[in-house]
Amino acid sequence: MSAMLLNKQKWTEFTGILSGKKVLAPVACGDRFRYAVPAEGKAFSLDFDRPLVPPKSAVFPQTETLYRFQLGKTELAAPQPGEELILLGVRPCDARAIKLVEKLFRWDVDDPYYLRRRELTTVVGLACLEPGLNCFCPSLGGGPASTEGLDLLMVDLGDSYYLEPLTDKGRSLMDLASGLLEEAGEEGLQKKEEAVRRAEEKIRRTVDTDGVPEILPDLWEHPLWQKTAAGCLGCGTCTYLCPTCHCFDIQDEIEGFEARRCRMWDSCMFEEYTLHTSGHNPRPTRRERTRNRINHKYSYFVRKFNVIACVGCGRCVNYCPVNIDLIETLREVKEAQ
Amino acid sequence: MTDHSNPYLPYIATVDDTWLETVGDRCVRSFKVTLDDNSARESWSHQPGQCAMVGLLGVGESMFCISCSPTEGKFLRFSVMRAGKVTQALHQLEAGDKLTVRGPYGNSFPMEEWKGKKILTIGGGIGQAPLRPIVEYVKANISDYAGLTMIYGARTSNDLCFKGEFEEMSRCDDLSCHLTIDVEEEGWQHNVGFVPQRLLDLNPSPENTIAITCGPPIMIRFVLENLKKLGFADEQIYTTLENRMKCGFGKCGRCNAGHLYVCKDGPVFTYAVLKNVPEAFA
Amino acid sequence: MDLDKLRKTAAEVVSRDDVKYLIGWRPGSYGYRVAPGFVEEASAAETLIFSPLCTINLATYLTLTEKLPLPRGSAPDQRKVALMVKGCDSRAVLQLLVEKGIRRDQVLLIGCPCPGVVDTALLSLKYPETESPADLKWNGDHFLLRQDGQETAIPRLSVLAEKCRLCRYPNPVISDITLGEPVEAQLTAEDSAVAEVEAMELGARAAYWEEWFSRCLRCYACRNSCPLCYCRDCVLDRLNPTWVNRAVNFSENTAFHVARAFHLVGRCIECGECERVCPANIPLGRLNRKLAREVREQYGHEPGIDPDGKPFQAGFKPDDPEEFIL
Repeated sequence: MSAMLLNKQKWTEFTGILSGKKVLAPVACGDRFRYAVPAEGKAFSLDFDRPLVPPKSAVFPQTETLYRFQLGKTELAAPQPGEELILLGVRPCDARAIKLVEKLFRWDVDDPYYLRRRELTTVVGLACLEPGLNCFCPSLGGGPASTEGLDLLMVDLGDSYYLEPLTDKGRSLMDLASGLLEEAGEEGLQKKEEAVRRAEEKIRRTVDTDGVPEILPDLWEHPLWQKTAAGCLGCGTCTYLCPTCHCFDIQDEIEGFEARRCRMWDSCMFEEYTLHTSGHNPRPTRRERTRNRINHKYSYFVRKFNVIACVGCGRCVNYCPVNIDLIETLREVKEAQ
Repeated sequence: MTDHSNPYLPYIATVDDTWLETVGDRCVRSFKVTLDDNSARESWSHQPGQCAMVGLLGVGESMFCISCSPTEGKFLRFSVMRAGKVTQALHQLEAGDKLTVRGPYGNSFPMEEWKGKKILTIGGGIGQAPLRPIVEYVKANISDYAGLTMIYGARTSNDLCFKGEFEEMSRCDDLSCHLTIDVEEEGWQHNVGFVPQRLLDLNPSPENTIAITCGPPIMIRFVLENLKKLGFADEQIYTTLENRMKCGFGKCGRCNAGHLYVCKDGPVFTYAVLKNVPEAFA
Repeated sequence: MDLDKLRKTAAEVVSRDDVKYLIGWRPGSYGYRVAPGFVEEASAAETLIFSPLCTINLATYLTLTEKLPLPRGSAPDQRKVALMVKGCDSRAVLQLLVEKGIRRDQVLLIGCPCPGVVDTALLSLKYPETESPADLKWNGDHFLLRQDGQETAIPRLSVLAEKCRLCRYPNPVISDITLGEPVEAQLTAEDSAVAEVEAMELGARAAYWEEWFSRCLRCYACRNSCPLCYCRDCVLDRLNPTWVNRAVNFSENTAFHVARAFHLVGRCIECGECERVCPANIPLGRLNRKLAREVREQYGHEPGIDPDGKPFQAGFKPDDPEEFIL
């Protein structure tokens, strides 16, 4: 199937076709958007800003049961594979992040939980035609309509959506709705390209990543880490909202006689993250923790997987309560060279 | 039945025997453990230096080095200092109790590569636990190696682990065992002084020798310094790192020292590698 | 506020032998952002500002600083930390002193009488931010916004932070040096936000908090930004025993927020940082202000006001109300 157009007047019909399936779409929570199951029978739209929590949470939930057991017994029950999921309205940067993190979850030992959810999920992207103030995806090799990690890309053309299938999953979703679609043709393609070009022009902030992975190890003792960390509150905002951050903790939780071993997001910005039981902490202050966060994304991950673990979504910049700005930090890294 | 495609699912294991190595607030207790599942027990194979994730259902999991050599039999041994939530609970266990085991994880000491060489282990306190498998492995294959020298120290004689095992070593020509404690004690017949100094005094030749050290960070720092003084090349010096871990196979993120994951790239490293990793001795 | 005077004072202060460094505000990297400025050299005082964008309560840094063990033989640095404080920030410092969380000789306070700061989120919603740092000034019942060469007058009340609308202490309650003239306390508005929640039926109120707490990410920005959440060993991080599970769900999140709110009873000085820093926009101010008001009305206690006062939860008066005791 080639690229098609979905007239917006048929949007409700389109969502009707998806009604039998589990769908996660951006839903307004206060004045922030989150990926959630739209309320039963309630129409939902793709008219949203950038969601607060990246859709990594659909394949890597903040809290996930590894297996259940009863206290005093030794039978372990891992959860059964879940149902198929359609993830709607994913920004291309976030889709790219899911793909990047998959490298880690496939490295050496397969992570069955991540990979199973990934398999069951159809990722439907929506090109980012109104990039935010702190978006810098082109600096990391992405773009407002980048397709990496997507099964299907949608582009808002005003009165219709342009639909471009990218994988078999994307094609079969379009097959379901084929009755509502019309051929995009050359004109549709041109409109789409024009819209994407305009979006690219709106992106203001940039990062020069050239050489950063190689420079970082030499800056280990550089004063910039102390300077960056001085104002840091040590909260988990930057890491929890980061679409590529993937670190987790594993803990046992008990309710009555029912218990489970589960994993939950963790943050390298927390003091306990590396704290040994002995009381020794190899990263004793926020200086070391800040340095690790940047090094992990811009150096260690690159050494292992040959790609920077940042997609330029700008969330860490947007939501840091004390204006620790990754773009500034990277500029200082370049200048310190 | 354990699903082997799911690396998070542990084996269920039984404590066969448990005993105290040291007493006190932060005492060390050893556990001899066998996996319940027959085929798992048969297929399990670990090498000196490897780790395993030991857990108690409803309490949690912690990573420990396996403190026995595969040459000792089809069982596992862990030597655990009582410190945090999991270790406190482990210390309550008695023979017959159940725990969970995942692993083995990480790389190991290259025992094959070391054949024909003299082995020098330098341990401090609970740091002897990962060195013990080397000692046992060499003892079991003594004709493959050009001898073993063990330097082991602790704060007091009570803080020495595996005490009962040192006696027999002094009876074998190819093995030598040098114990030391930090401060004078009544009835103590061995050396008094710090481990790094004991190393200097013994003055081992670096020729055809591999030195492996493990212990508190401060001890390791001075042992490395002294090994360099004695003429050991960086490639002849090994250590094993320990960091907080959650998964054991490179996913959870926290055990990295610089770009190295201790659980995957380690825990065993040569000083030649670690000297270029600034976080390694943090 | 006369910026020249502020910078000159700051430069003098950091030049003093008994001052380690000064913490003030400096323009952020873009838009309306302001960052904490750590000034060690007199020359760096040139970067400091005080404007309606200076929302951050810098008192947090007094207890947030992590100290590495001192090398053997070296003496600890006993010099003071100089801190710029607004009215609410100074109450946090005073409360820390009352609780003996810090010592008076450890700090040098530069008081900044404050006519009220903006709600940065609200401001950027109404007047979108741009990538260049903007300047905002007090001007009577307006704020003057200068951004990319353009000047806009913004009605004060349309973007004033909620906490400032309720503020009773715009002038520092404690300081060593005061910059500028005292600000006349505004007629404080009724706390309509708290009243709105109080007016809800019990079920609706539970649903209200359930909805908000369910959205919590447990990033702990509220706790870490709070100048009065400074326990070295926080009950929420404890593993042994685990008081609050790490699982993120309504039940555990509620345990977290209720535990925090209770630990702040009679201690919260209503600086509003918890709510400002929350990425999920949870109205934590309402929770803490409700409890603060109960303490004020029932027990006549206000934290961070009386330097000779006792911590609320450590004090007792024979006529304290006790109707709640069953």
